[in-house]
Amino acid sequence: MTERSDVTLTIDGRPVTVPRGTTVWQAARQAGIDIPIFCYHDRMPPLGACRQCLVRVEKNPRWQTSCTLLAEEGMVVHASTPEVRAAQERNLEFLLINHPLDCPICDKGGECPLQDQTFAYGPGRSRFVETKRDFAKPVSLGPILVLDRERCILCWRCVRFGEIIAGDEALKGFERGFATEINTPFTAPVRSKFIGNTISICPVGALTSRTYRFRARPWDTTPVPSVCNHCGLGCALWLDVRDRTVVRVRAREVPDLNDIWLCDLGQFGFSWLHARDRLTRPLVRRDGRLQEASWEEALVLVAERLRAARRDGPGRVAVLGGTRLTNEDNFLLRRFFREVVGTPHIDHRIDARPGSASLEVAWGLRTPLPAISQSDLLLLVGCDITEEYPIAWLRMKQAIDRGAALYSLHSRSLEIRRFARGTLVPTPGAEGVVLSQAAAAVSGAAPDGAVLREVGVDPAVVEALAAELRAARAPMVFLGKSALEGLAGRAVLRAAQYLQAAGCTVQVMRGKGNAIGAALMGVLPAPGGWSAPEIIRQAGSGALQVLYVLGGDPATEVADGRAWEAARARTPFLVVHDLFLTETARQADVVLPALAFAEKDGTVCNLEGRVQRITAAVRGPGEARSDAAVLAALAARLGVPWAYEGWEDVFAAAAAAVPGLAVGAIITPPPLSGDWPEDYAPPPPSADLVLISGEVLFDLGSMTSRSPAIAELAGPPTVWVHPTDAAARGLTDGALAQLSAGDASLVLRARVTTEVPAGRVFVPRGFDSLPLHRLLSWDRPMPTVSLRAVGGMAAAAAGAEAAP
Amino acid sequence: MPAESILLRFMEGEGTADLEAYLRAGGYAAARHALTALTPEEVIDIVDQSGLRGKGGAGFPTARKWRFIPKGAPLKYVVVNGDEAEPCTFKDHMLLERAPHLLLEGIIIAAYAVGAHKAYVYVRREGYLARERLRQAVAAAYARGFLGRKIFGTGMDLEVVVHSGAGAYIAGEETALLESLEGRRAMPRQRPPFPAVFGLYGKPTVVNNVETLSHLPAVIRLGAEAYRALGPPALFSVSGHVRHPGVYELPLGIPMRQVIAAAGGLRPGRRFKAAFPGGSSSALLTAEHLDVPMDYEPLRAAGSMLGSASLIVMDDTTCIVRVAARAVAFYKEESCGKCTPCREGTYWLSQIFDRILAGGGRIEDLELLAHISRGMSNGACFCLLGESVPPGLEASLRHFRHEYEYHIRTGRCDVEETLAAAVASGA
Amino acid sequence: MAPLLEAARDEIRRLPTYYERRQSALLPALFVAQRELGWLPPQALQEVADLLDLPVSDVAAVASFYRFFFLEPPGRHLILLCTNLACLLNGAEGLRRHLEERLGVRPGQTTPDRAFTFRESECLAACHLAPMMMVDRERFGPLTPQAVDELLERYRAR
Repeated sequence: MTERSDVTLTIDGRPVTVPRGTTVWQAARQAGIDIPIFCYHDRMPPLGACRQCLVRVEKNPRWQTSCTLLAEEGMVVHASTPEVRAAQERNLEFLLINHPLDCPICDKGGECPLQDQTFAYGPGRSRFVETKRDFAKPVSLGPILVLDRERCILCWRCVRFGEIIAGDEALKGFERGFATEINTPFTAPVRSKFIGNTISICPVGALTSRTYRFRARPWDTTPVPSVCNHCGLGCALWLDVRDRTVVRVRAREVPDLNDIWLCDLGQFGFSWLHARDRLTRPLVRRDGRLQEASWEEALVLVAERLRAARRDGPGRVAVLGGTRLTNEDNFLLRRFFREVVGTPHIDHRIDARPGSASLEVAWGLRTPLPAISQSDLLLLVGCDITEEYPIAWLRMKQAIDRGAALYSLHSRSLEIRRFARGTLVPTPGAEGVVLSQAAAAVSGAAPDGAVLREVGVDPAVVEALAAELRAARAPMVFLGKSALEGLAGRAVLRAAQYLQAAGCTVQVMRGKGNAIGAALMGVLPAPGGWSAPEIIRQAGSGALQVLYVLGGDPATEVADGRAWEAARARTPFLVVHDLFLTETARQADVVLPALAFAEKDGTVCNLEGRVQRITAAVRGPGEARSDAAVLAALAARLGVPWAYEGWEDVFAAAAAAVPGLAVGAIITPPPLSGDWPEDYAPPPPSADLVLISGEVLFDLGSMTSRSPAIAELAGPPTVWVHPTDAAARGLTDGALAQLSAGDASLVLRARVTTEVPAGRVFVPRGFDSLPLHRLLSWDRPMPTVSLRAVGGMAAAAAGAEAAP
Repeated sequence: MPAESILLRFMEGEGTADLEAYLRAGGYAAARHALTALTPEEVIDIVDQSGLRGKGGAGFPTARKWRFIPKGAPLKYVVVNGDEAEPCTFKDHMLLERAPHLLLEGIIIAAYAVGAHKAYVYVRREGYLARERLRQAVAAAYARGFLGRKIFGTGMDLEVVVHSGAGAYIAGEETALLESLEGRRAMPRQRPPFPAVFGLYGKPTVVNNVETLSHLPAVIRLGAEAYRALGPPALFSVSGHVRHPGVYELPLGIPMRQVIAAAGGLRPGRRFKAAFPGGSSSALLTAEHLDVPMDYEPLRAAGSMLGSASLIVMDDTTCIVRVAARAVAFYKEESCGKCTPCREGTYWLSQIFDRILAGGGRIEDLELLAHISRGMSNGACFCLLGESVPPGLEASLRHFRHEYEYHIRTGRCDVEETLAAAVASGA
Repeated sequence: MAPLLEAARDEIRRLPTYYERRQSALLPALFVAQRELGWLPPQALQEVADLLDLPVSDVAAVASFYRFFFLEPPGRHLILLCTNLACLLNGAEGLRRHLEERLGVRPGQTTPDRAFTFRESECLAACHLAPMMMVDRERFGPLTPQAVDELLERYRAR
């Protein structure tokens, strides 16, 4: 006889029918019966530790925790009798005996489950006349987290979040019994990219954030729904606004996207919105200096130069940008420059190398995010997932907990290596070779051991990977920026396409902010038009009269210092839309102050191709305008007045042009299809140090450097060195080091770690004050470098400077 | 001692830690017999009929526990609970120090019965001598082919690993022990699932007490009936106000009075006041209970429990309030901190007791103690550590309320005052 | 802080072979490190974490749970005076006061000359020796104040 899939039980006399596997607590909630609870959080398995949810079950003489008890057919549960109420009150009384009377000064007040449940179920007075447990408080655990141990009720949610959801085990319980305290090891700053979530799930004010400390009460703020503009996953969030200022960011629940989580960049990287040095007025270069001007003056000048360039020929204007713009901004960008100005040279992919594989493939996920947690084999190729798309890691962790195997193929060790079944760290640039060998092995060919060993990889791991790829039910390959931008990018694509044919889903993990939206809106070169790197190269040959940059910073983003310098030098007129005076803006002829995402209405697309609404939460500063408004004004001045009333009109026009475009729709890019060459020679092994670089989550870009918590997490620019290489050069952790390639050199702090292999140093990108691009060139993206310790007077010049 | 000692005779004199001595005393014959002449199911049947119950405190029938192990599971474990830390229980340490081969033989029999090939013996950190003797015994047993591959010339493999605790009473709780053995904090696990289904590393695991396993050679050797006819016997740890505190092998059901007598009776000139029959987790009993048979059911009927059969005897020099306070302090010290009622309840109780003993007690404290105690009873706590506080505490309030009241009213102890007066008057 | 000697590192590396999962080697590994260094400074915890490939947060949290892991340097000898029931009933309180007076420290503290760390202990499963104490690995009882004094003298010299 088959088991019924439902059970019917009785709770407080009410019959409730639930699927088998439901707990009594969940069944009660379904029936509208509230049972107070603390340690249970529905994204984690029940724990049964807080004992707040005790109920009486007939035929069982002992108390049961309803959160762990599975509902069974015919069970009779009492959740509201006087006896149960007395037990609930008693448990709250226990929790409160050591809880400090901090409510008036505790940030959690007003959104505090302990407050709420004490009011509903707890004792009115305390009978505790003894000495409360005393802890030093508050304790700062880094730039974000503030810990108050006296408030902690030891519900274990934060600890379990780190163990189960994030996998970073950032917080743990130390000591035991009544002396138990939540802490990091050695009370060191928290090491996590997700610690903000523990603040959200803490049921008391034990975990609070420094950025929000004493700023507001929940009833003071108005929540406005929006979408994060950082990494490209577009996590849904609430902007809490008080007095026209965003004072806090919280996760907005979208189960199929970020669920209820945010990474710390998204949650605490918003203070830049209200930075004092936001651009508020147009700037025009007069007498060699940028000076404030009126919009009228600036627009007249820009329109004039565009008209002149247009007269000269169709390709004399080029556009870089779109990643930081909304879909509507991007739609109008395309209309303006392609139709009104008439140039084919527009592209948002500013950080691509010429001829890189990035330019030959559509960016983005080919499945919605939840599909990742259903995969049974995850292969990361040049994709540093926790640094680049942290929330996607949470889905991968789910898959791993279900038994999925994780492999990584990357030029250095990843933070999540502990979870990897196999780690491949080949010579930089040899990812294509290794992936090709793996792909060949999937079809049954034995991998070439000699070739693999020559690039520093164990053939056995490649064989194991191939075997698992073959046997997997739903394997996924994640191609990241460092693989696609590498010299072997096309070989990687070729191998990935092969794996795709063998059943793997290939995910192209590329694109920040609204890059996908920019692509969808067509901010891409027309046929015959130049890609972004080509634009820069052509500009360097004097091909342009006007270079127009919207929300981009090629002066720091382009991985070839000389290429940008030449482009700027040979281009007569540079216009920049931005929020801040970036390096590119500093070099511009006209700078126009733009609105940020939180100041606009419209839509954006995330890495899945999911179209989401953003809502203006605050007004922009000064005279800042949306890119769409500026482009419309320019269009009018160039004789093409548009009739768009608001973002909806623009969106409707875009929807007419892009099939499937609708708010909430997911427009999935097609699978890989191309014809990429096989032959590729890996770089020869080098006796010197090789410089590799990559993205990190916490950097010092224009937004992050203006978000104090993030800036503090980023720290100063660093060069990561293996202990052997460091020792050979007398470098200790934290010491100043000089990194040189050719006649360019940088001074930065050494970070001695085994996360880079010997013979290689890693410098994180995104530290705008560090002109890393001076060491890089497009045809040598991984130059050999020399590294030495710096001491004495030279050490006083902290920060990065190029050698004379 | 019963007519034939099944445990103590391996512990007396030089003991049988030396393999030759153990063999001379007939050791390893039962294991050999079980492995060569009985099927695992037959072994379980014999143990079932013997009525052997766990000696760690819970008294769960051993064969019934074994039968929870899924037969077809490919990998099973035997884990031996040698974390004896229940106050005033010391029989397991004695067994480990003086008769470690008795335990090893029991492990062999148990492993055979449930189909396990790896056993871990978790020995409390403080048991240095116990661990040393056990390690030596294990090495000797391996050398002789009683452990390792194809033991006793049969096809059975059995590995035994001795694992040290690190100082936590809670690690004696079987699921907390498994957590500790897995290298984590000794915090108990939710049950169900029970260790028999989801135990060490999530595999089916039998967790048995040292003494329980040490009974098995006799059970097999004598057979169920003859074993039962001896009592059956158990090891009683007798301590406190007796003349010869120690471990005594006595038949279950022996009246408490006779256990005290076996330990040399009370100290000269003193009267019996109270006793914990089963360690500090049991409700204390008074003189009216001196004839209660020391067995599971009779003690339960008397409102207490046999537990680990640790009789702590208190004579008329005892301040019950101080004893109750110290017992509560023990649980506070050893609470793992996972659940609210135990962590906060032991803290609160301890603070109240300290205040009463320091002379700051209030009459409402008695109801408060009872209220807190109720909040830790009957499944309110996550595991039995917290739940071990109410029995002793409530019994002390029930039988010796007047002592509490005196402390509260006067700030002093009437027992100590009476004693001092007697000494002063030369009595 | 010098890392553990290679022999200790080797010993720790071998420990996981006794268990199905690596983390089971953690308690024994911590004892190996503590035997080497006398206690467990943060660097030792990090080193054990690296050798067993465990997060250091986990290693530190586990070490802090158990009484026998010393996260601060202990005295040369560890005195554990049992004050639980059987010993309490047989005069442990008096011995505690005696030791406090002789050592000049309260339970939980280390003597200024670093000879002894003095702790009250829960039951040490030696109730037939009540009142008793352990010094390092040895058990002593039934104790008298005089016997305690003799032991202190004997151990202080070591």
